[in-house]
Amino acid sequence: MRRERGRRPRKKVCSFCVEKVQDVDYKDVGKLRKFITDRGKILPRRISGNCAKHQREATIAIKRARNIALLPFTSD
Amino acid sequence: MRTYELMYIIRPDLDEEALNGVVDKFDQLITNHGGEVINTNRWGKRRLAYEINDYREGFYILEHFKGNSATEIELERVLKLTDAVLRFLITRKL
Ligand SMILES: [Zn+2]
Repeated sequence: MRRERGRRPRKKVCSFCVEKVQDVDYKDVGKLRKFITDRGKILPRRISGNCAKHQREATIAIKRARNIALLPFTSD
Repeated sequence: MRTYELMYIIRPDLDEEALNGVVDKFDQLITNHGGEVINTNRWGKRRLAYEINDYREGFYILEHFKGNSATEIELERVLKLTDAVLRFLITRKL
């Protein structure tokens, strides 16, 4: 008899795809905050669950938001 | 003509008259350089995510306009040399 060991990796879904987002908005700080750490670092794709396209767009949006002081730069 | 989005931050210590002066200046600059202002949205005073020139907050202005590269270049040039502007970001809309 086989027993399932450990935790099954949760299937990650790209939330931008789910919401059918056409282009990621740098002004949507509430949403972008979910993709940075407490220290302001951008979460990698394996953690954020974003698809490659939306991860790329989210990264650009976060950088824009930082430049216009809507989001902090990394604080370490 | 393309559609652009401009966001800029004005120093928080300006009075309302001076603030209006800055906003009007950039609206006019766009119009005078082949552009057309679609809308100007004042977000009001907002806390900055980090200090800029010792300021902790600033007036955020969000503006959409139609224009060409000459409009964009001139706008960028003047934004850079305006002391009252702490930061700005120009993006092209799809
Ligand atoms: Zn996606």
